[in-house]
Amino acid sequence: MWKRDEAPRPPQPAAPTPAPAVPEPPARVEATRQPGRDVVNIGKSVVIKGELSASEDLTIEGQVEGKVDLRQNTLTIGTNAKITAQVSAKVVIVMGHVHGNISATEKVDIRDNGSVDGDLSAPRVAIAEGAHFRGSIDMQQAKSGSETKPASASPTVASSVPQPHTPPAAVGAR
Amino acid sequence: MFWTPRKATSATAQSAAPAVAPPRPDDALTKSKVFPKFLNAVSKQPSPILLDLGPVVGPNIQFFGDRLACKIVIEDVFGVIERAAAAGDRASLGAALSSQFARDENSVDGILCWDVFDYLDRDAGRTLASRLTAILKPGGSLYGFFGTTDVELDHYSRVTVEAEDLLRVRSYPATKVRRTVLVTRDVNRMFEGLRVAESVLLKTSARECLFRKP
Repeated sequence: MWKRDEAPRPPQPAAPTPAPAVPEPPARVEATRQPGRDVVNIGKSVVIKGELSASEDLTIEGQVEGKVDLRQNTLTIGTNAKITAQVSAKVVIVMGHVHGNISATEKVDIRDNGSVDGDLSAPRVAIAEGAHFRGSIDMQQAKSGSETKPASASPTVASSVPQPHTPPAAVGAR
Repeated sequence: MFWTPRKATSATAQSAAPAVAPPRPDDALTKSKVFPKFLNAVSKQPSPILLDLGPVVGPNIQFFGDRLACKIVIEDVFGVIERAAAAGDRASLGAALSSQFARDENSVDGILCWDVFDYLDRDAGRTLASRLTAILKPGGSLYGFFGTTDVELDHYSRVTVEAEDLLRVRSYPATKVRRTVLVTRDVNRMFEGLRVAESVLLKTSARECLFRKP
């Protein structure tokens, strides 16, 4: 994994011989995998309209409109994220903005400065001070309906991703 | 007063959970005789639905989830009051509150009013009470407390349920308003259609009430 480096590069001394051609990484990589564990990041400039599903943990910092489905994994909605979608996951951690209903088979955790306008359904719900919430919280249905369906073998972005430098395969590529 | 308010901070009230300091020893802890009866009544309903008119309080969500295994609906009426007060438009509160509760009649098993009626004028209070009475199911319960001292309020309360009979009350800033003092007769008239199951005058001069819908 690498990170985008936007810092100006220091001037390099003139080399007598040209440096060997090294393929440069793409200018922007918005969907990246964290080393050591199955977590995929969706960067803050990514806009997804449609259905997003995955079988590994996912962190969203961008915008999603439609549906997010991670039945057996943890979804983290980052501080920069704006989600207008129905969200389903095993665990949902909200640090950004969500407008839509959230369903979790294990837990919904709205952190400080997280914001949710919608209904929650989960056996456990934690809402930090400083969080915004408006809607209903259903713990009884979540307890009785905590069955999980097997997720697809690999995560897919079944939607248009209007970022030319963000190939859909990068979201779920192993 | 139901509690002794701490000095207000610069935060403003809104629909978000208000910014308040973490619990401190001087936060008012109130022993409640009525609240356990409210919990007991709601817990007897199958798959209860609880309507909370206060700001969202995370520990309460966990408490009610564990204790009642209920569906909780958060309608932060204090946020609506504060927005109207900040805009200098308290006169529209009745209409605003009426439209806020678009729920079906007889659809809620328990309602937590806290001290919201202290901040409403009599017309808005009657409007809200009438709407709450309508949406409460037969056999449902409504809990609230009413200040009995005529003072200017510059804070809202944020109640955390510490235990079945123990409430921690903290304050956060509000646009100043004179408390609407309701005597017992006024309260009973306002909730016409409900029966007073418990009414206890606390040492703090607040009246803690439990209503039941026959």
